[in-house]
Amino acid sequence: MITTIKNIIANFKKYWFLTTQIISRDFKRKYKRSVLGVVWSLLYPILMMAVMAVVFSYMFKGGLNNANYLVYLMTGIIMWNYFSEATRNAMTSVVDNATLINKVYIPKYVFPLAKCLFVGINFLLTLIPWFGLILLTQFGVGTYPASINWYYLLIPIIFVFFFMFTVGVGLILSCVSVFLRDVFYIYGIILTIWNYYTPVFYNITILPPKLQALFKFNPLYQYLTSVRSIVLYGTCPSFATFGILAIIGIGTLLVGAIIFKKNQDKFIYYV
Amino acid sequence: MIDISHVSMKFNLGIEKGFSIKQAFVNFFDPKYRKKRKKKEFFWALSDVSFHVNKGEVVGLIGSNGAGKSTLLKVVSGVLKPTKGKVTVNGVISPMIELGAGFDEDLTARENIYLNGAILGYSKKFIDEKFEEIVDFSELRDFLDVPVKNFSSGMTAKLAFSIATIVNPEILIVDEILSVGDIKFQEKSKNKMLEMIKGGTTVLYVSHSLSSIKELCDKVVWIEHGKIVDMGETDVICDAYYEAQMGMTPEEALAKKKKEKVKKDKQKKN
Repeated sequence: MITTIKNIIANFKKYWFLTTQIISRDFKRKYKRSVLGVVWSLLYPILMMAVMAVVFSYMFKGGLNNANYLVYLMTGIIMWNYFSEATRNAMTSVVDNATLINKVYIPKYVFPLAKCLFVGINFLLTLIPWFGLILLTQFGVGTYPASINWYYLLIPIIFVFFFMFTVGVGLILSCVSVFLRDVFYIYGIILTIWNYYTPVFYNITILPPKLQALFKFNPLYQYLTSVRSIVLYGTCPSFATFGILAIIGIGTLLVGAIIFKKNQDKFIYYV
Repeated sequence: MIDISHVSMKFNLGIEKGFSIKQAFVNFFDPKYRKKRKKKEFFWALSDVSFHVNKGEVVGLIGSNGAGKSTLLKVVSGVLKPTKGKVTVNGVISPMIELGAGFDEDLTARENIYLNGAILGYSKKFIDEKFEEIVDFSELRDFLDVPVKNFSSGMTAKLAFSIATIVNPEILIVDEILSVGDIKFQEKSKNKMLEMIKGGTTVLYVSHSLSSIKELCDKVVWIEHGKIVDMGETDVICDAYYEAQMGMTPEEALAKKKKEKVKKDKQKKN
């Protein structure tokens, strides 16, 4: 057991430089020929939030309990965007690198992992305007101010579990899509459903109680709600909640890793 | 150093790349499909190949197109896992199966040196140290900040060769790459190879150029239809292979060349 863990860590170290190189390639590609470049990472969530705020403010503000709707919205947007973009990118990552896989030996997990990290860096950048907005609410932007408190220090832990969950889903998708390209399309539909199933711009308290129970099974709802409870209400999620977040994160990552490992030797015949 | 024992590699020709639900649905209602499935076509790219390469040996692989040479190299370098049999490799492999496999067209030469180096398993520190050497060898200093997509194919190959050969690997796997670039660069790359061989690197070398095989290799393995026809002394096997390509059967060619060899040896003794 200990030796396997040691091996895994040694393997990570060996291929860490490759992972960073792939991430930096993705960065250069993404912002090629764009005037604002990386500024878009900051600007995009703000603009998205502004649009959604204008459209949804009056419809979905209900049931928020004196919380700042703008912060509520933006927290939802940045976390949802991270998850959907990271998993979508990870899904195609193995198939996209088919030529490489055919020619050199590289551990295949590098590709989905690099995608999740790459989008993750973007996500960390979006935290700047996000926090900027939280500060602005102290000066009267939106109706109510957001809360600033020591529990913020716990948010990174939530993000780590959130990241694990995302990588797990990414590993599963990238693996399955090698054998079944239809997954590219199916997942697009699933993401749309999942988007509405996740309270990004509305609060589930506006729904009938029976429906509300259904949301407890949505991992994204769990992660989102924990962050929001700290930021909007200044309440710390319970110990049990952290347990749930950890189990979802670590569990999904493990399942993804096992599925991926079992099938990775077959990839080369299908990509 | 490299031990290949009873390696077989089966490819399933029936696998349609990118199987989809639509296809499965169509197949389900196609009565012919079930029959088709039963006689799935298999293709043995390698069957029961065994040989051993000692440390410091330079072994050439020859054979017609599609004989299984490249498949064998891929099995040794770990890209493919053998269906049967086992490959044991002791030492660090530098695979030069296809040059510039990891190049990104949009990135500059400078960026590609790092990316490709990482793909080949180099560390950042190592590339930093060797960067100047790579650039000098590739003769592309003036084009360092040009995206690789604007390079000519010769320039790309030069860059790739320079990155791939910068290490002094314990085992070098080479698939037909010495014919890269202009004559001057070809000479240079051949010398580089010879230098590495002198340094004690074990080499597995695939080429259709018999002259370069004769020049470099201590031993030759001749593969045809996934099986080893014969292996042994470079000159004998190469000449027999040449005759076989010209129309003889491999057995005849081998017998003939071995006879000639015996004659020659006698003459030498006398």
